[in-house]
Amino acid sequence: MESLHSFKSAIPALELKGSPRSLLYDAIRRLLRNKLAITGILIMGVFLLTALLAPVISPYDPIAQDLAMRRRPPSQEHWMGRDDLGRDILSRVIYGTRLSLQVGVLSVGFAIVIGALAGAISGYAGGWVDHIVMRIMDIMLAFPALLLAIAIVTILGPGLLNMLYAIGIVSIPAYARIVRGSVLSAKEQEYVVAARAVGVPPVRILFRNILPNCLTPLLVQGTLGIGTAILDAAGLSFLGLGAQPPEPEWGAMLGQGRYSMFTAPHIVLFPGLAIMLTVLGFNLLGDGLRDALDPRLQT
Amino acid sequence: MTRYIVRRLLLLVPVLLGISIVTFAMLRLIPGDPARVMLGEHATEESVAAIQQRLGLDRPLPVQYVLYLESCLRLDLGRSIKTNRPVLQEIAQRLPATVELTLGAMLVACLLGLPAGILAAYRHNSAFDLATMFGALVGVSMPIFWLGLMLAYVFGFLLKWLPPSARLSVGVEMKSIAEAWGLSGASPQVASLNEFFSGFYVLRAILTGNLRALADVLSHLILPSIALGSIPTATIARMTRSAMLDVLGQDYIRTARAKGLRERTVLLRHALKNAFLPVSTIIGLEIGWLLGGAILTETIFSWPGLGRLVVDRILARDYPVVQGSVLVISLIFVVVNLLVDISYAYLDPRIHYD
Repeated sequence: MESLHSFKSAIPALELKGSPRSLLYDAIRRLLRNKLAITGILIMGVFLLTALLAPVISPYDPIAQDLAMRRRPPSQEHWMGRDDLGRDILSRVIYGTRLSLQVGVLSVGFAIVIGALAGAISGYAGGWVDHIVMRIMDIMLAFPALLLAIAIVTILGPGLLNMLYAIGIVSIPAYARIVRGSVLSAKEQEYVVAARAVGVPPVRILFRNILPNCLTPLLVQGTLGIGTAILDAAGLSFLGLGAQPPEPEWGAMLGQGRYSMFTAPHIVLFPGLAIMLTVLGFNLLGDGLRDALDPRLQT
Repeated sequence: MTRYIVRRLLLLVPVLLGISIVTFAMLRLIPGDPARVMLGEHATEESVAAIQQRLGLDRPLPVQYVLYLESCLRLDLGRSIKTNRPVLQEIAQRLPATVELTLGAMLVACLLGLPAGILAAYRHNSAFDLATMFGALVGVSMPIFWLGLMLAYVFGFLLKWLPPSARLSVGVEMKSIAEAWGLSGASPQVASLNEFFSGFYVLRAILTGNLRALADVLSHLILPSIALGSIPTATIARMTRSAMLDVLGQDYIRTARAKGLRERTVLLRHALKNAFLPVSTIIGLEIGWLLGGAILTETIFSWPGLGRLVVDRILARDYPVVQGSVLVISLIFVVVNLLVDISYAYLDPRIHYD
């Protein structure tokens, strides 16, 4: 009896000091300790602010032409110079941030919604549903992504919105596969079996119990996917299949400016740098999120 | 192994059917009448009807698909609206340029990416490692068409070290392979084979023994290959580093070092041999990316390949050529992926496919 008493009295000494830490807290701590991820957050923060404050910080109208001043190099009044039609490049780059971020975020959002639904239904239902959905994804993956996006834009017609759909559609298989994999492993877990046993409807199990567990890989893939979507969008616009003139889209600016590149290289230098920095920001953050959320996958 | 290959080939059938449905749908899903879209608003009713009949658009959809599939199997991809030449002939004429560019880019990616990845892993956490990994991240973030433009400007225009566009300089002549080998005037089959293989300029310059042309062709190939190879270089460097880090921590590497083997032998003979397996898969899969990326690179460098053909014909609304090119590029992509899968199973005896 005495020994039991002494055992009980020893328990408080074993208690952890401070409040218990959640997995999310640990992940955020790991993310904030990662210098490259912080650099990514900073880069994205700058571009996000630029997009939000474009009308305030833009020094000139991005589509106002001044043909007498075409192709002027950078100066004190026009920090990035003027383009083929005498428009201020800095203002166009600033407004272009809005378009590129919108296309990146919306196309990836579209792909995640459709892909996650397809993957979840496919993985949970199994059988012929799984077979059909996955074969459709295989067929989509049988095309190089940019080529499929070009084919879709050819069908839908050039334009910003159609480009957004094309990039979104091309990205669907990646998210569908991720979610299907997570659903397949989660649906055999005890908590899901228990929910099924007590009669919880399948849709509720899928949305309340299983899908929240797929959020981590979706978040990582989504962040990296935005960078890829911005690159693809710029590529399509560069070819004349995305944003149409006079839209200040970075890829379209490169496409229009390439003909006068040898005489006025500044026309293509700055939009290209803007694309690279934005995509780099998303890639740095995506890598950092992967390392923070799943340390086993550390690069 | 044979069973695995047969199974993979059987699995290819639904994918190939899917590709044929997508390319078939490309023309039919165009809003409005595809024939009118191709010919423009001012086309006469007769010419629209003629194109509709030629493309089989006046028949029921299932019949159209069966006829399309049948003609694909006969290697008949129709005729170009713009040039009236067979689509397959147009593609065959452009394909060698794209293949040459893709291989050039892959060579650049392997020559730069593999050593960078190996050294970064060997000097883990050093300044070189950090710089390589940051450089790789910048590499995958860079639009290849922008890099291409910058390379053409700096090395082609400012420094004049390398030609900024095209495949061959004006004034450099090259005989065709058949001409050099005295096969001119042979059968039509030889003529078409000659036309196709003479499209590979590097091969043609070597086979015809024309060293001046070879140097010129190679100098034209460098800038587009670097631009197109930039992203695969970064991907290969990252993958090689990661695979090498995994392997360098294994017991057999410690044993090899304990035996007193030279560090170079440990690194290249023991570590790289095992780390190369996942890297080889990535190298294979990057070819698909290169085929897509070639569309942009060819546009910048005025490279007369398949990618530029697609872009030119989209703008000219020559849809049969676009349709055929998409079909051919995706078929190449699927076959390359299949070969990568099979070689992976062959190279790693630990892998069993049921």
